[in-house]
Amino acid sequence: MSSTWREFMSWNKYTQVASRALRQALTETDRVAAEKRAAIGVRYQLWENGQGGEQKYVVPQAEPKSAGTPPV
Amino acid sequence: MFASRLSSSLRALPRQASAVRMARRGYAEAAGADGKLQLSLVLPHQSLYSSAGVIQVNLPAATGDMGVLANHVASVEALRAGVVEVIEENGQAGKKWFVSSGFATVHGNNTLTINAVEAYPLDNFSAENIRSGLADANRVLSSSAPESEKAEARIEVEVFEGLQAALAK
Repeated sequence: MSSTWREFMSWNKYTQVASRALRQALTETDRVAAEKRAAIGVRYQLWENGQGGEQKYVVPQAEPKSAGTPPV
Repeated sequence: MFASRLSSSLRALPRQASAVRMARRGYAEAAGADGKLQLSLVLPHQSLYSSAGVIQVNLPAATGDMGVLANHVASVEALRAGVVEVIEENGQAGKKWFVSSGFATVHGNNTLTINAVEAYPLDNFSAENIRSGLADANRVLSSSAPESEKAEARIEVEVFEGLQAALAK
Protein backbone atom coordinates (compact mmCIF):
# COMPACT_ATOMS: atom_id res chain seq x y z
CA MET A 1 0.00 0.00 0.00
CA SER A 2 1.46 3.38 -0.93
CA SER A 3 2.16 5.61 2.02
CA THR A 4 -0.84 7.82 2.69
CA TRP A 5 0.75 9.37 5.76
CA ARG A 6 2.27 12.07 3.58
CA GLU A 7 -1.18 13.61 3.16
CA PHE A 8 -1.53 14.16 6.90
CA MET A 9 1.85 14.60 8.52
CA SER A 10 5.50 15.51 8.14
CA TRP A 11 8.31 12.93 8.11
CA ASN A 12 9.12 13.91 11.68
CA LYS A 13 5.64 13.04 12.86
CA TYR A 14 5.75 9.78 10.87
CA THR A 15 8.98 8.87 12.62
CA GLN A 16 7.55 9.67 16.05
CA VAL A 17 4.47 7.49 15.39
CA ALA A 18 6.59 4.57 14.14
CA SER A 19 9.00 4.86 17.09
CA ARG A 20 6.14 4.98 19.56
CA ALA A 21 4.68 1.81 18.05
CA LEU A 22 8.09 0.10 18.20
CA ARG A 23 8.52 0.97 21.87
CA GLN A 24 5.15 -0.59 22.66
CA ALA A 25 6.37 -3.86 21.15
CA LEU A 26 9.35 -4.24 23.47
CA THR A 27 9.56 -6.59 26.45
CA GLU A 28 8.55 -4.98 29.74
CA THR A 29 11.97 -4.00 31.16
CA ASP A 30 13.23 -2.65 27.83
CA ARG A 31 9.96 -0.81 27.27
CA VAL A 32 10.12 1.06 30.57
CA ALA A 33 13.68 2.22 29.88
CA ALA A 34 12.79 3.21 26.31
CA GLU A 35 9.69 5.17 27.35
CA LYS A 36 11.72 7.14 29.86
CA ARG A 37 14.24 8.00 27.14
CA ALA A 38 11.53 8.90 24.68
CA ALA A 39 9.69 11.46 26.80
CA ILE A 40 10.30 14.90 25.31
CA GLY A 41 9.25 18.10 27.00
CA VAL A 42 9.89 21.61 25.66
CA ARG A 43 9.69 24.65 27.89
CA TYR A 44 9.75 28.29 26.84
CA GLN A 45 10.11 31.57 28.68
CA LEU A 46 9.37 35.12 27.48
CA TRP A 47 11.91 37.77 28.42
CA GLU A 48 11.06 41.48 28.84
CA ASN A 49 13.36 44.28 30.04
CA GLY A 50 15.97 41.77 31.07
CA GLN A 51 13.47 39.87 33.23
CA GLY A 52 12.48 36.33 32.48
CA GLY A 53 8.79 35.52 32.60
CA GLU A 54 7.14 32.32 33.72
CA GLN A 55 8.54 29.10 32.26
CA LYS A 56 5.77 27.26 30.46
CA TYR A 57 5.70 23.82 28.92
CA VAL A 58 4.61 23.75 25.28
CA VAL A 59 2.57 20.62 26.06
CA PRO A 60 1.50 20.73 29.75
CA GLN A 61 3.09 17.89 31.72
CA ALA A 62 0.76 15.44 33.47
CA GLU A 63 2.45 15.10 36.87
CA PRO A 64 3.85 18.16 38.70
CA LYS A 65 7.64 18.46 38.64
CA SER A 66 9.37 19.07 41.96
CA ALA A 67 11.34 22.34 42.11
CA GLY A 68 15.01 21.94 41.28
CA THR A 69 14.79 18.83 39.11
CA PRO A 70 16.14 19.79 35.70
CA PRO A 71 14.55 17.99 32.75
CA VAL A 72 16.97 15.41 31.33
CA MET B 1 31.76 -2.76 -6.48
CA PHE B 2 28.10 -1.75 -6.53
CA ALA B 3 25.35 -3.28 -4.42
CA SER B 4 22.33 -4.72 -6.22
CA ARG B 5 18.89 -3.17 -5.65
CA LEU B 6 15.57 -5.02 -5.73
CA SER B 7 13.68 -1.93 -6.90
CA SER B 8 14.93 1.52 -8.00
CA SER B 9 17.46 1.86 -10.77
CA LEU B 10 21.16 2.24 -10.06
CA ARG B 11 22.69 5.69 -10.69
CA ALA B 12 25.78 5.26 -12.86
CA LEU B 13 28.81 7.54 -12.39
CA PRO B 14 29.81 9.29 -15.65
CA ARG B 15 33.04 7.78 -16.89
CA GLN B 16 34.93 11.05 -17.20
CA ALA B 17 34.11 12.15 -13.68
CA SER B 18 35.32 8.88 -12.21
CA ALA B 19 38.58 9.05 -14.19
CA VAL B 20 39.23 12.56 -12.86
CA ARG B 21 38.32 11.49 -9.34
CA MET B 22 40.68 8.52 -9.55
CA ALA B 23 43.54 10.82 -10.53
CA ARG B 24 43.01 13.10 -7.54
CA ARG B 25 42.01 10.61 -4.86
CA GLY B 26 41.25 6.97 -5.36
CA TYR B 27 38.51 5.13 -3.50
CA ALA B 28 41.14 2.66 -2.33
CA GLU B 29 42.56 5.37 -0.07
CA ALA B 30 39.17 6.25 1.32
CA ALA B 31 38.47 2.60 2.10
CA GLY B 32 41.61 2.27 4.18
CA ALA B 33 44.04 -0.60 4.09
CA ASP B 34 41.40 -3.26 4.72
CA GLY B 35 38.93 -2.07 2.06
CA LYS B 36 35.97 -2.11 4.43
CA LEU B 37 32.90 0.11 4.44
CA GLN B 38 33.05 2.64 7.30
CA LEU B 39 29.74 2.40 9.13
CA SER B 40 28.28 4.79 11.68
CA LEU B 41 24.96 3.55 13.05
CA VAL B 42 23.72 6.07 15.58
CA LEU B 43 20.62 6.55 17.69
CA PRO B 44 19.83 9.71 19.68
CA HIS B 45 20.85 8.02 22.92
CA GLN B 46 23.48 5.56 21.78
CA SER B 47 26.06 4.97 19.07
CA LEU B 48 25.95 1.35 17.89
CA TYR B 49 28.80 1.71 15.36
CA SER B 50 31.15 4.67 15.15
CA SER B 51 33.18 4.59 11.90
CA ALA B 52 33.66 0.86 12.20
CA GLY B 53 34.83 -1.19 9.25
CA VAL B 54 32.21 -3.64 8.02
CA ILE B 55 31.73 -5.77 4.94
CA GLN B 56 28.05 -5.25 4.11
CA VAL B 57 24.96 -3.51 5.47
CA ASN B 58 21.41 -4.43 4.48
CA LEU B 59 18.90 -1.61 4.79
CA PRO B 60 15.09 -1.44 4.67
CA ALA B 61 14.83 1.66 2.48
CA ALA B 62 11.40 3.15 1.83
CA THR B 63 11.99 2.51 -1.87
CA GLY B 64 12.88 -1.14 -1.29
CA ASP B 65 15.42 -3.33 0.50
CA MET B 66 19.00 -2.63 -0.45
CA GLY B 67 22.50 -3.80 0.42
CA VAL B 68 25.51 -1.49 0.73
CA LEU B 69 29.04 -2.74 0.10
CA ALA B 70 32.32 -0.84 0.20
CA ASN B 71 32.65 1.98 -2.34
CA HIS B 72 28.92 2.26 -2.93
CA VAL B 73 27.75 5.21 -4.99
CA ALA B 74 26.69 8.18 -2.86
CA SER B 75 22.98 8.17 -2.05
CA VAL B 76 20.47 9.26 0.58
CA GLU B 77 17.70 6.86 1.51
CA ALA B 78 14.83 7.25 3.93
CA LEU B 79 14.28 4.06 5.92
CA ARG B 80 11.01 2.37 6.74
CA ALA B 81 10.40 0.16 9.79
CA GLY B 82 12.53 -2.92 9.19
CA VAL B 83 15.67 -4.89 9.93
CA VAL B 84 19.14 -3.41 9.50
CA GLU B 85 21.65 -6.21 9.16
CA VAL B 86 25.38 -5.59 9.55
CA ILE B 87 27.90 -8.16 8.33
CA GLU B 88 31.20 -7.31 9.98
CA GLU B 89 33.44 -10.06 8.66
CA ASN B 90 33.22 -12.29 5.62
CA GLY B 91 31.39 -15.50 6.42
CA GLN B 92 30.01 -14.24 9.74
CA ALA B 93 26.26 -14.12 10.34
CA GLY B 94 24.91 -10.57 10.22
CA LYS B 95 23.94 -8.71 13.38
CA LYS B 96 20.35 -7.51 13.18
CA TRP B 97 18.49 -4.59 14.67
CA PHE B 98 14.87 -3.64 14.05
CA VAL B 99 14.77 0.05 13.20
CA SER B 100 11.67 2.23 13.52
CA SER B 101 12.59 4.92 11.02
CA GLY B 102 15.53 7.03 9.98
CA PHE B 103 17.90 7.94 7.19
CA ALA B 104 20.83 6.16 5.59
CA THR B 105 23.41 8.29 3.80
CA VAL B 106 26.19 6.77 1.72
CA HIS B 107 28.84 9.45 1.39
CA GLY B 108 31.11 9.41 -1.65
CA ASN B 109 34.17 8.39 0.37
CA ASN B 110 33.11 4.87 1.33
CA THR B 111 31.27 5.94 4.47
CA LEU B 112 27.75 4.95 5.46
CA THR B 113 25.88 6.85 8.14
CA ILE B 114 22.58 5.50 9.44
CA ASN B 115 20.59 7.79 11.71
CA ALA B 116 17.73 5.98 13.40
CA VAL B 117 15.39 6.97 16.19
CA GLU B 118 14.90 3.57 17.75
CA ALA B 119 16.76 0.34 17.01
CA TYR B 120 16.80 -2.80 19.12
CA PRO B 121 18.07 -6.36 18.64
CA LEU B 122 15.29 -8.77 17.72
CA ASP B 123 15.51 -10.51 21.13
CA ASN B 124 14.20 -7.41 22.91
CA PHE B 125 10.70 -7.74 21.46
CA SER B 126 7.72 -9.54 22.92
CA ALA B 127 5.40 -11.39 20.52
CA GLU B 128 2.47 -10.79 22.84
CA ASN B 129 2.94 -7.01 22.85
CA ILE B 130 3.27 -7.02 19.07
CA ARG B 131 0.04 -8.96 18.71
CA SER B 132 -1.92 -6.67 21.04
CA GLY B 133 -0.47 -3.56 19.38
CA LEU B 134 -1.43 -4.88 15.96
CA ALA B 135 -4.97 -5.67 17.20
CA ASP B 136 -5.34 -2.12 18.57
CA ALA B 137 -4.13 -0.56 15.32
CA ASN B 138 -6.45 -2.74 13.22
CA ARG B 139 -9.35 -1.78 15.44
CA VAL B 140 -8.72 1.89 14.73
CA LEU B 141 -8.54 1.13 11.01
CA SER B 142 -11.90 -0.62 10.96
CA SER B 143 -13.58 2.04 13.08
CA SER B 144 -15.02 5.33 11.89
CA ALA B 145 -12.08 7.43 13.04
CA PRO B 146 -10.93 10.44 10.98
CA GLU B 147 -8.50 9.74 8.13
CA SER B 148 -5.53 11.29 9.98
CA GLU B 149 -5.92 8.80 12.84
CA LYS B 150 -6.26 5.98 10.36
CA ALA B 151 -3.02 7.11 8.69
CA GLU B 152 -1.26 6.84 12.06
CA ALA B 153 -2.82 3.40 12.59
CA ARG B 154 -1.55 2.32 9.15
CA ILE B 155 1.98 3.30 10.16
CA GLU B 156 1.66 1.26 13.35
CA VAL B 157 0.32 -1.73 11.40
CA GLU B 158 3.37 -1.48 9.14
CA VAL B 159 5.71 -1.49 12.15
CA PHE B 160 4.01 -4.44 13.88
CA GLU B 161 3.69 -6.54 10.74
CA GLY B 162 7.36 -5.85 9.92
CA LEU B 163 8.25 -6.99 13.43
CA GLN B 164 6.23 -10.19 13.09
CA ALA B 165 7.89 -10.96 9.76
CA ALA B 166 11.36 -10.29 11.20
CA LEU B 167 10.75 -12.45 14.27
CA ALA B 168 9.29 -15.26 12.21
CA LYS B 169 12.51 -15.70 10.18
